[in-house]
Amino acid sequence: MAFDLVVNGSTHRVDADPQTPLLWVIRDHVGLTGTKFSCGIGQCGACTVHLDGRAVRSCSIPAATAIGKPVVTIEGVSPDGTHPIQLAWKEFDAPQCGYCQSGMIMSALALLRERPHPTDADIDARVTNACRCGTYYRVRKAIHLAADLMGK
Amino acid sequence: MNTDVTRREFLATVAAAQGSFVLGFWMPVKAHAQTRTPASAPAGTVWYEEPATPEVNAWIVVAPDDTVTVRIAQTELGQGVWTSNAMMVCEELQCDWTKVRPQYASANRDAREKAPAWTLAVPGNGATDPKGGGVPTFGTRDRTGVAGIPDSLYRRMRTNAASSVKDGRYYLQLAGAEARERLLLAAADLWSVPVAELTARNSIITHARSGRTVTYGRVAHRAAQIPHPHPETIAIKPPDQWTLMGTEQKNLDVPLKVTGQTVYGIDVRLPGMKWAAVKACPVYGGDVARFDFDAVRDMPGVRSAVQFPIPDPALTRGRIFSGGVAVIADSWYQARTAIDRMPIEWDVPPEHAAVNTAMMRDGLLAAIDQPGQVRVNQGDVDAGFVRAAKIVEATYSTPYLARARMEPGNATVLVTDDRVDIWIGDQSPQETRFSASTITGIPEQNVYIHLCHLGGGFGRNGNGPQAEHAIMIANAHRGTPIHMLWTREQDFIGTTYRAMGLARLRAGLDAEGWPIALDVRTCMQRDGFGPEASFDVTSRYHVPSYRYSSHTTRFHVPVGTRRGVGQAAHEFYRESFMDELARAAGRDPYLYRRELLARTNLPYKADMIKALDMAAEMSGWGTPLPRGTARAIALEERGAEAEGLATISAMVHTVSVSRAGKVRLERVDVAHDTGFGLVNPLSVKKQIEGQVVWFYNDAMHQATTIADGHVVENNFDTFPLSRIGENPPEINIRFFSTGHWLMGMGHDRATSVQAAIGDAIYQITGKRFRDLPYGNHDLTWS
Ligand code: FES
Ligand code: FES
Repeated sequence: MAFDLVVNGSTHRVDADPQTPLLWVIRDHVGLTGTKFSCGIGQCGACTVHLDGRAVRSCSIPAATAIGKPVVTIEGVSPDGTHPIQLAWKEFDAPQCGYCQSGMIMSALALLRERPHPTDADIDARVTNACRCGTYYRVRKAIHLAADLMGK
Repeated sequence: MNTDVTRREFLATVAAAQGSFVLGFWMPVKAHAQTRTPASAPAGTVWYEEPATPEVNAWIVVAPDDTVTVRIAQTELGQGVWTSNAMMVCEELQCDWTKVRPQYASANRDAREKAPAWTLAVPGNGATDPKGGGVPTFGTRDRTGVAGIPDSLYRRMRTNAASSVKDGRYYLQLAGAEARERLLLAAADLWSVPVAELTARNSIITHARSGRTVTYGRVAHRAAQIPHPHPETIAIKPPDQWTLMGTEQKNLDVPLKVTGQTVYGIDVRLPGMKWAAVKACPVYGGDVARFDFDAVRDMPGVRSAVQFPIPDPALTRGRIFSGGVAVIADSWYQARTAIDRMPIEWDVPPEHAAVNTAMMRDGLLAAIDQPGQVRVNQGDVDAGFVRAAKIVEATYSTPYLARARMEPGNATVLVTDDRVDIWIGDQSPQETRFSASTITGIPEQNVYIHLCHLGGGFGRNGNGPQAEHAIMIANAHRGTPIHMLWTREQDFIGTTYRAMGLARLRAGLDAEGWPIALDVRTCMQRDGFGPEASFDVTSRYHVPSYRYSSHTTRFHVPVGTRRGVGQAAHEFYRESFMDELARAAGRDPYLYRRELLARTNLPYKADMIKALDMAAEMSGWGTPLPRGTARAIALEERGAEAEGLATISAMVHTVSVSRAGKVRLERVDVAHDTGFGLVNPLSVKKQIEGQVVWFYNDAMHQATTIADGHVVENNFDTFPLSRIGENPPEINIRFFSTGHWLMGMGHDRATSVQAAIGDAIYQITGKRFRDLPYGNHDLTWS
């Protein structure tokens, strides 16, 4: 069955079972591979995207849920890596292997949109993505810097 | 379902995704290319692309616009090798660092060419000569081993043992130096002046006498044609001349990682590619009895199914994994959905199916009481125990542990009748090349490995058979590129494990509380890694009589080199026991360790004392803390038992435990050895921060258990990973220099977290736990 998805502002005609998890439609039908698969059961957050402005774990929701709602992936954060959150990430050299980082950035960005100046407790509660390389120390600093940059 | 794929199409696909970076493929120069077009390519297409600019040497291409392409022979998996290897080359090349572009070296070309003979001998007097090349691990390449730098073109292409700097520094600096000298010769030739009158800096060659300058890009073509007349005279720079190495450089691929553009193995897309989902028998050594493809063949997108045997142990370093079956479909989700519905019956060896963790623990406990391999026996240990005023004994244990890197195992393979192409994030492409050749019968010279970034490593792809699975599946579908992707659950079956282990330490103390006899026994399965770590040769802490024996038993779970290898468990045992001895002696654990180091005659004892002193001072050791919070200190060393390469650090961990038993690592103070020099101190800091998290997870949360012969914890709901909320808010790192080259620091730093949390729990709750992880225990107090 074919349906339309709006991803990063453009409409994509997708020919897939609408029960396919949104993650796989984004990666294999829309063709954007920045969003990652790791656990597939909603545990790790590697697959985090924005659906209607909220951070969701795309491995665990059917694509049908996203019909008629805007989806934003890491590729939609900025065309050239100059969004303040990306600048902050680069400033602290936050990623290691980088595999979790798309999801980490999408979770942090959703938090920053809601709470422009998050406390450490806000970060602990809302950025619950797993990073096996252990980049948390720099990620926290980068989130605070991003808040400063976005406030300017 | 034969599909034609052209290299040109693939290049276009990847180039579009990679921005300005070149990653994951290789375009050989004409001299090395197979000029024949493979039968599967449409007539008239070009299989190989010629690079626009000839290379200066096998590691370096300088383009007319001064862009420097540096070839990287290790795999970037978060450790920063993409940047640090380039720094080692560019230190000598003296090029403009802002114009450097890393690119993976060709494992195929490595199968065809040898390294120049003059690069093989390493100058200097080994580990303690700052002007030398260090002590790289030379030796013939053993495909089933872990050590040795081959003499093939790109030398050691493995990414393991935290050795990319230790093993590669000499020949990478040399590659940069030779290219620089040849660029200078080219400029001398251009201007007809003596080369001695030229200087090179920042990609510009200057002839001061005439005031002329030329950029590298303008003479690179000429340099490519002028061999150096006496390459054996080229020397590398010692650390006191470094200008780029030793500075903090941000990682060159971070811009790709914040925009989602990095190409990992999982992201590879080829025209005509099909997807494979896999199920291997959950019990190692098991195989497929039967499966019913007919039950799923009509599901959407499903194409075929193929059974594959237990991967040949000769290709997996002797480990016995399982046989399995793959379903191939148009998309991975379709393949995965189908294989989940497909009836599969397993053929499980009954002796394996009977195994569980409790039995294994009993097996280790039995073996530790049997005579083991006595590795050290100094003084008279038994007499020491007779004389002792007090005897302290403790038994510690560590569970099986998975690596659980974030990117599940995957590989994309295209087998045609005379050639294999593999797109993969791989920690050992030379071994994968051999596997591909063995499985397909196609010579290694016709195997092309297109390296991708890896979503975490932590031990040579888990030593798991991701490549072998994919090659076997693709070999059954010749002509069609097959992208095999493991589920997370399959990844836990496909990996090898850090071996479950046990240690019994027994010390006799004199009336002052100083050890006079120490008996250490460690036990793990026979093929476990690092059985001698941290205890071998001699005790790190002074004791007149010392005996160390390792004991083994046999288990069927395949084990491998997980981050930390032997040190991870053994430093937990050793440092935990030092805390227990200090407490038994009524002495401060920092000063107790310090005194026992001072009494040794170990070559690096001053460095170890320095590390302890520095970490203690940084942490405010001895200053009051609120109730419920405690500090603990531990030493970390590799190589301190003898003069040679070594890495030494000490950490103080400030830990709180709430009355409800919630542990928080509040602060970490790190004193770390730089040796003669660190290549990229920023990467080193990041590696330390990451290893704090790694060993925090080992200490608090993670354990792999075995039931009915299979691994129980197979996803992150049962094998938990800590999140940002548990991370120490403060990590302070200070470096101190020492008089030796480093042994590496990418896998066995921060092992101290384990012992330190244990001692802090003891200080706060009065309870001593010796079986990891602590999260399994009741940590409440009142
Ligand atoms: S892959 Fe979606 S939460 Fe892990
Ligand atoms: S950076 Fe590797 S998993 Fe987070």
